[in-house]
Amino acid sequence: MAETKDRKRDRRRSGPSSNRSKQRKTMNHETDGRRGRKRTGPRLPNALRRGLDLLNPRKDGGDSDGDESINSDVAANDVYEYEEEVPQEESRKNRRFDRVENLEYHLPDHFEDEDVASDDDDGSDDDEVRGEKGGNGSDEDGEEEIEDEANHLRMLQGITGLPSEAFQGKKKRKLDVVSEAYPESEYNPTQDVLEGEGRITVQDLLEPLQGGAAFGELRKRVSQIEKNSMTMHAPLPKSDREKLERKVAYEHSKKDITKWEPLVKRNREAPTVFFNEDINVGYSTVGAIASEFQPRTEFEKKIASVVYDDKIMEAHKNDGAKLLELNLTSVEDERSRRERIAKMRSLLFRHEIKQKHIKKIKSKTYHRLMKKDKLKAASAQMEMDPEAAKEQAMKQEFKRAEERLTLKHKNSSKWAKRILKRGLNTQDEGTRVAIAEQLNQHALLTRKMNSMRNNSSSDASSDEDDDQSGLSDHEVASNLLAKAKEKTLKVLDEEEQVPDSGVLSLPFMIRGLKKKKDAAMEEARLALEEYELSAKQMEDVHEAENGKASSSKGRMVFGAVKQPASKSNSAPKTQRVVDDSDYEEEVEAEGNSDVGMHPVGTLQNEGHGDMTLHGLVKGDEHHVFQSFGDIVKDPGPKTTYDVAIFASGSWRKPLKNSKEKPEEPSTKGSKQKQGISVVRVGSLDKDPKGASEDSGTDDDEVEMIDGILSNEPRESYELPSQDELVRQAFAGDDVEEDFEKDKLEILNEENPEPEKPVLVPGWGQWTNVQQKKGMPSWIVKEHEDAKKKREEALKKRKDANLKNVIISEKIDKKVEKLLTTGLPFPFTSKDVFEQSIRMPLGPDFNPATAIGALNRPEVVKKSGIIIKPIKFEEVDPHERADGGAMGAQKAASSQKSKSGGKKTNKKKEVAANKR
Amino acid sequence: MSEEQKDTPPTDTQPGMSKELDAKVKKYLRGDGINLEVVKDKKLKGQLAVREELYGKSASVAANAEKWLLPSEGGYLEAEGIEKTWKIRQEAITQDVGISSQKNQFDIVLQDLGPYTIDFTPSGRYMAAAGRKGHLALLDMNSLNLIREMQVRETVRDICFLHNEMFFAAAQKKYPYIYNRDGIELHCLKEHGAVLKMQFLRNHFLLSTINKLGQLHYQDVTTGLMVNNYRTGMGRTDVMQVNPYNGVVALGHSGGTVTMWKPTHTSPLIKMLCHHGPVSALAFHPNGHLMATAGTERRIKLWDLRKFDVVQTLHGHASTLEFSQKGLLATSSGSRVEILGNFSNPNKYKRYMSHSMAKGYRIKKVLFRPYEDVLGIGHSMGWSSIIIPGSGEPNFDTWVANPFETAKQRREKEVRSLLDKLPPETIMLNPSKIGTVRPFSKKEKPSKKERESEMEAAIADVKDAPMKKKTKGRSKPSKVANKKQEGIVRAKRPFLDEQMKEEEAIAKKKQKLAEEAELPKSLQRFARKQAT
Repeated sequence: MAETKDRKRDRRRSGPSSNRSKQRKTMNHETDGRRGRKRTGPRLPNALRRGLDLLNPRKDGGDSDGDESINSDVAANDVYEYEEEVPQEESRKNRRFDRVENLEYHLPDHFEDEDVASDDDDGSDDDEVRGEKGGNGSDEDGEEEIEDEANHLRMLQGITGLPSEAFQGKKKRKLDVVSEAYPESEYNPTQDVLEGEGRITVQDLLEPLQGGAAFGELRKRVSQIEKNSMTMHAPLPKSDREKLERKVAYEHSKKDITKWEPLVKRNREAPTVFFNEDINVGYSTVGAIASEFQPRTEFEKKIASVVYDDKIMEAHKNDGAKLLELNLTSVEDERSRRERIAKMRSLLFRHEIKQKHIKKIKSKTYHRLMKKDKLKAASAQMEMDPEAAKEQAMKQEFKRAEERLTLKHKNSSKWAKRILKRGLNTQDEGTRVAIAEQLNQHALLTRKMNSMRNNSSSDASSDEDDDQSGLSDHEVASNLLAKAKEKTLKVLDEEEQVPDSGVLSLPFMIRGLKKKKDAAMEEARLALEEYELSAKQMEDVHEAENGKASSSKGRMVFGAVKQPASKSNSAPKTQRVVDDSDYEEEVEAEGNSDVGMHPVGTLQNEGHGDMTLHGLVKGDEHHVFQSFGDIVKDPGPKTTYDVAIFASGSWRKPLKNSKEKPEEPSTKGSKQKQGISVVRVGSLDKDPKGASEDSGTDDDEVEMIDGILSNEPRESYELPSQDELVRQAFAGDDVEEDFEKDKLEILNEENPEPEKPVLVPGWGQWTNVQQKKGMPSWIVKEHEDAKKKREEALKKRKDANLKNVIISEKIDKKVEKLLTTGLPFPFTSKDVFEQSIRMPLGPDFNPATAIGALNRPEVVKKSGIIIKPIKFEEVDPHERADGGAMGAQKAASSQKSKSGGKKTNKKKEVAANKR
Repeated sequence: MSEEQKDTPPTDTQPGMSKELDAKVKKYLRGDGINLEVVKDKKLKGQLAVREELYGKSASVAANAEKWLLPSEGGYLEAEGIEKTWKIRQEAITQDVGISSQKNQFDIVLQDLGPYTIDFTPSGRYMAAAGRKGHLALLDMNSLNLIREMQVRETVRDICFLHNEMFFAAAQKKYPYIYNRDGIELHCLKEHGAVLKMQFLRNHFLLSTINKLGQLHYQDVTTGLMVNNYRTGMGRTDVMQVNPYNGVVALGHSGGTVTMWKPTHTSPLIKMLCHHGPVSALAFHPNGHLMATAGTERRIKLWDLRKFDVVQTLHGHASTLEFSQKGLLATSSGSRVEILGNFSNPNKYKRYMSHSMAKGYRIKKVLFRPYEDVLGIGHSMGWSSIIIPGSGEPNFDTWVANPFETAKQRREKEVRSLLDKLPPETIMLNPSKIGTVRPFSKKEKPSKKERESEMEAAIADVKDAPMKKKTKGRSKPSKVANKKQEGIVRAKRPFLDEQMKEEEAIAKKKQKLAEEAELPKSLQRFARKQAT
């Protein structure tokens, strides 16, 4: 394709060079024939290339445009940048960039021929020459054809004004055949020259030099090189090379660094590192440093000579101020300066003002929020302040009037009209919403004011009231009903009308509305029916007001009978009371009440009611009541027996001597009861009630007895105290038991016994099955676990095996701060840590010679010493560093060593120096 | 310090020497060295090895220095043939001891002012004596001079020195008072009430008292602060003794129990039943591990306080008990003093010496004089002093107690000891536990609920943490949400890990238990399957 370019160029050039180009062409053909297939790599389609050519038309500047053509070639080749697979040096194409070389295009024909000949020295030139001669005619034909096509193309282009590519469809294939990337030249040898026999050897190159000055020497060297020639391998990829380099470097540096290892190890293992070398730190003050200054460089000397010049010194001494004369300034300068400053000031001032203004500008959102706030505040104020409300109303009214006058929001604007003209349905959602909103606003603005409506409505209502007042009650009601109905219907109708547009017109909204409406209708109908019914009844009964409040059912029953109602009211009460206790108990209670009632005979009705409350009391107490009933029935010997039962607690047993004592009061009590019982059964009942309310345990018995037979328990408490007295008198007799008790108490205090699981009455007892099961398993398990835990804890106590010792396990919080919370870092074992701190380190507990070594810090260093980097020295890696001190800087010999360890270290240092 | 005072016979430079030296070194090493094989950390191992070496060096130096620092050797009575040491009378001893020791045998008869209690300063140079009828006296025992004497005209129940001879406290009828050496009343400690017995804790500067109501008071004498007071709730007692090793106060009660208290613990540290009858006397060995108690049921018991076990039970009454510095035990009942001890086997106490006062003398208090082989006896007719060979420590450390202290030394020591004053919480049964790792307590482990709340708090923290505003779409809502989620997971992680660990541990434990509970393999097939 370079060739085609060439051709064009040649044609345009029209003249002496055309011949040469023809020759070149023939050569290319030949090479094509042989090596056409070998060409690889992408190439621009011819059409495109041509386009490129058109875009950069060459200046046909006669003969001298050779270099430009080459340049264009270069441009074309730029497209193939990536062909650089083979380095340019090797492909030998690089030199085509050389302008000077390419000047050969101007050279006359014969010269060039010569050149070609010299290129293909090794015999291939014959063929070429032949081909050149033979193929001349055909080539010219082809060229003519192409020329024609080009002409044609140009013509078409000129006519249509379309790019030439449009007309090149079929020509592509034809041009495919001819392709040689580069014009053949000395620098672009043909493929056969590159690969085959036609290789240029060193000898060839040497030949022209034969007989030259240093030829012999040169040849010798060449032959030498040839003799021990070696194949050069391609260099490794860069990354691999670098990797290898790094590896080698690493090995090297590793070797280099490992020699430091023993040294570093020694320093690390040393308990103390010394940097105690005595170094003169130098001057301490700036003055001292400055006084030592001596001028060294030329400059410094000059300065010094000036500064310390005697004359100047003297002059300065005499009058230093005179040395500096006042600088004169012109009036103009001063004026201009002032003006400049004034201008700057004014500018600054303006800028400041502008900035202030800008700063005051609030954002849109701020204004929006502000507006909102204002509105809110206004509404709030309106609620609070009637004055403001009035004002607001005025404003509103004004707005309303305005709105009514201008109809600003009634789709009268240009925009709205346009939209309506286009049709609302074709608009998008946003616009529709906007329109709806506008309408809404209009509606809002034009709505009648509250106050006015109030007036009107109140008028209407008053009218109605008036009407009603004229009518009888039920008529009023019916009127109301009718009105309500009407209203609801109206509302429904209205609602039907509304949703033509906007969101409400959406199908699901409509559906929803419909549903609602239906429901409302249904309700209304029901209500109507009810009202009608009630209206009918109203005619019978006067009390219509009651009916309004409650439901129809209740009302139906209500007015009829009052007594059964009261009965039913109280009935659930009793039932509830009974429900609380068990069924059997209830029966018993009833029996009880019977028992209580029969002998009494003439019990009041209230008493009866109270008796039912016996149900509250639990079974045990019922026995009590029964017995009381017995007591009441036949007071006599039985009473004592019963009381004895009551009294038979743990405390009753030791009461033998005073057996008769409790009898008296009990009988007395019973006697009293005989007297009182008839009158005060009710009051008797009150006591157990209270007791049962307090608790349901057996203690109630005692309490109850307390209530009734007040004397007895007091006496019974005296005895334990006596017992205690005796025990106190014989204190120390039973110390062991006491101690055991104490211990148990303390154990319980420190490891509390788990609470016994208790069933809350009524819980988990809904059915018989549940009752049989008893405790839920998880509760039992938990309890057992807790018990086990406690036992384990008790076993773990220090005094578990010491019967006569209690060791408190309470944690003393103040002691906690004396203990470490956890193991300090490097330690992993508690024992090791505790052993490591067993030795005291203070001077009171250690001989003076050991204290220094025991308490020496990790680094010993004088302040102000510069720590130099570590220096290499030979260290025996197997030698144990014994507590000695080392460091980059060793303890100076002047340093007095305190410990043996240090001494050894010094010795070592000396040894190292010797080495 | 105390260890350095311990006496060892002077080393002769003969074959036995290395063995003796080893023993001494062992003493100064204060326990076994660290077993370095256990230590895994190489660096730590190295460090510890260096440390141990230093300790070893220090110990050996100290052991070598002992022969100069502890030159004197304590002597004791040895019986020849059928002679018994307890048959040797004071008169017999008098002939054999030097003049300076002879002056330690005396009787001071003060008939009217009734049973005397005595107290020595820690150096043993000064003695305070208090007669029940209000007679207070301060004596220099070296020169046997009476420094000050006064009559308070009140019942005096007890007397004790404070940190040095400059101050002493006397428990009088209603309150204890503090006097200085010149007999000027400095303080009246009304809070203590009617004190029966007082003890001064030297290292903590605490005055501990027990009053008629059985209340135990601790008062810091440096600041005047009442550190604590406890109601023992065990009735009135006048048996009280401080354990010199750890500062724990022991009380003997009527129920036969001994309780041990410290000022920062509301309940007794130890409560042990020692006797069937009321405890009449109590004493501690200076090393703190041995306690002697006497009960009214005619028993004297020696207890090992490390095991809380009886070491030895002796028969006899004792109204007072006292250990000497070398571990001799003085008991007294009525007008008779008996010294128990055994120099060949220090763990087995037997009669060593005895001394009986004139009939009718009722001994109130016996007290060994420190650094002297002397026993002071306070009795109803004054006070006496007898020689008990081998009772006192022959070598004194001037940093601890100096019987020949000058005024300047005393002042310096006062400052020093104030600087070294220990806070009251350092009183504990085993003071060597200070600085060790806190034992794992149950409370430290947070409950499940606490842990959950903690986790929730952590999650909430992460959730509430403000996100940085980032550009280039890195603070997209999705990214932010992801990041938050990640943070939550990260916050949760440690809790969940812990929980998992715990659960695993529990599961393992359970498995272990189950395995233990299982029947032997051969019988397993007969086991009834549990109905579940």
